[in-house]
Amino acid sequence: MTEYAKVGEFKPMDLLAAAAAREVIDGDVVFAGTGLPMLAIALAQNEHAPNAACIYEAGSIDGRPIDLPTSVGDARCAYQAAKCGGLFETFYGQLHAGYVTLGFLGGAEIDKYGSLNTTYVGTHANPKQRFTGSGGNADILSFAQRTVLIMVQEKRRFSERLEYVTSPGWMVRNWPKNEYVPKKDVYGKYCYGGPTACITDMAIFRFDEKGIMYLDTVHPGFSAADVKNNVDFDLDISKCKGETKPPTYKQLEILYKVVDPEGIFLP
Amino acid sequence: MGSINQLSLKEAVALIKDGDCLAFSGFTIWRRPTAMCYEILRQGIKNLHLFEVQGGFHSEVLVGGGAVKLWEGSWMGQEILGKTGVNLSRKQVAGEVIVDDLSHGHAVARAMAGAVNVPFFPTALAMGTDILNPEYDGFANAGLRDGKNPKIPKEKYVTYKDPFYDMGEMLLMPSIRPNWGLIYAPMVGSEGTVRVLAQSYNDQDIIKACDKVIVITEEIVPDEYLRRDPAANIATGYEIDYVVVCPWAAHPTGSQFYYDTDADFLRSFNAGTKKQEGFDKFAEEWIYGVNDHWEYLEKLGVKRLETLRASQATGYSSRVKRGTR
Repeated sequence: MTEYAKVGEFKPMDLLAAAAAREVIDGDVVFAGTGLPMLAIALAQNEHAPNAACIYEAGSIDGRPIDLPTSVGDARCAYQAAKCGGLFETFYGQLHAGYVTLGFLGGAEIDKYGSLNTTYVGTHANPKQRFTGSGGNADILSFAQRTVLIMVQEKRRFSERLEYVTSPGWMVRNWPKNEYVPKKDVYGKYCYGGPTACITDMAIFRFDEKGIMYLDTVHPGFSAADVKNNVDFDLDISKCKGETKPPTYKQLEILYKVVDPEGIFLP
Repeated sequence: MGSINQLSLKEAVALIKDGDCLAFSGFTIWRRPTAMCYEILRQGIKNLHLFEVQGGFHSEVLVGGGAVKLWEGSWMGQEILGKTGVNLSRKQVAGEVIVDDLSHGHAVARAMAGAVNVPFFPTALAMGTDILNPEYDGFANAGLRDGKNPKIPKEKYVTYKDPFYDMGEMLLMPSIRPNWGLIYAPMVGSEGTVRVLAQSYNDQDIIKACDKVIVITEEIVPDEYLRRDPAANIATGYEIDYVVVCPWAAHPTGSQFYYDTDADFLRSFNAGTKKQEGFDKFAEEWIYGVNDHWEYLEKLGVKRLETLRASQATGYSSRVKRGTR
């Protein structure tokens, strides 16, 4: 019998890690970035998905880290890897080749089709600030069969229209013609999937058959109205299934004793 | 039998000219040729064009120090130690650096095309994004795609319909052939064979793509030692041009099996250089205020360096305190 921790017995970050880990299916080939995705994949591998393999974009493939990495280029990622190459291997030999079933990504801004901005605040011609830029974000969202997006829930971050589209969701522009079209029209036979879930500090969202984001569950302590107030576009809350499941006691034990005993992402 | 052309750090960097196009080894905060980047600032080289699969501390230093005119790449930052590249952000917003954005997949395609000497490489990655928006082509907007600069392609990309298997439209990304590859590798053999001890990143593609290559290394080892395991080597002696020996040359970035990333140094750099005055203070302390790399290492001190030293069993330090427990 699964025993869930009660409110007050876990921190917000624990819930996010548990929710993200539940998105991993045993046997997935996961392309993950630094931070929360590392916690999620390690938790999943130690729990329900021992056969999930993890690729970090700098070149390590199916590593078995004994210490949590803090960078995707870290020697810790490469420990006991099945093989180790470089970015040509990960982006072409793995991602373009079609092996990647699940990606984990974050962004500064998201729209209702799951497109992300990780590049600019302000317009391109007149930026107020530059963020990191794409890195592998655009590539992973374009080619992974499923992608889980991890975001901070704020009205200005859940935008009707992105200031800059770094990474493609379910509706994209068919450059150089500049028409707004479904992803499949641009990617054709290379359309393997797209964003399937978005996890924030308030809720979990999924995408309907038209590729539009809807509210799936709210985290303990939040209401659907709270979430709607923190989204700039018209959010569908009609399919909300209730509360997000808290982490289990077993998950908390794995997170704090096995995955991050040093307190790197879980202080 | 091959041989190597060994230079001092000062001699090697003096070969780089104002306006040259540079590319680097490493990934974000790992195996960057930072000692060479510090020396570029000391020698006052300007108007550089950086092609980066992704940037990191080394290029934040070059950008913050005013050595860079053109930057193209997919990403800039220090991962969790400083989420954005604050120096590139400041210089781009001020209009002092012309930026053109790529995705990792696009940049990797361009480096691979350069490496194998074909003019373009096909890809379907990151289509439908503003990276491909013609209005956002930073180099075209600056009038730089007129064919006059041999290091800048006349088009950022073209779309092309697959004529062989009807896979549909995809992108052709132009090759890049920088003037200089500045490569950090922990070991170089006495005949110039190059070894890295973990993920190879884009190092071997950058080595092949660049007209000339300078490798800065911790130590020169007998080539016979590296030839016992040829599959672990990333370049032959004839693919590189010059070798510089310089211990801890990648600090504060990490070098697997030699030393870990200096997280405190990177974090404080990122927090302290958001404004130009902050960068100038950093540069005075760590770049212009020291006479050479040995003085830089003395300033870091034995305790700091020994804490970063990597375990020969795992490739990383077990002495660094990384979290709160």
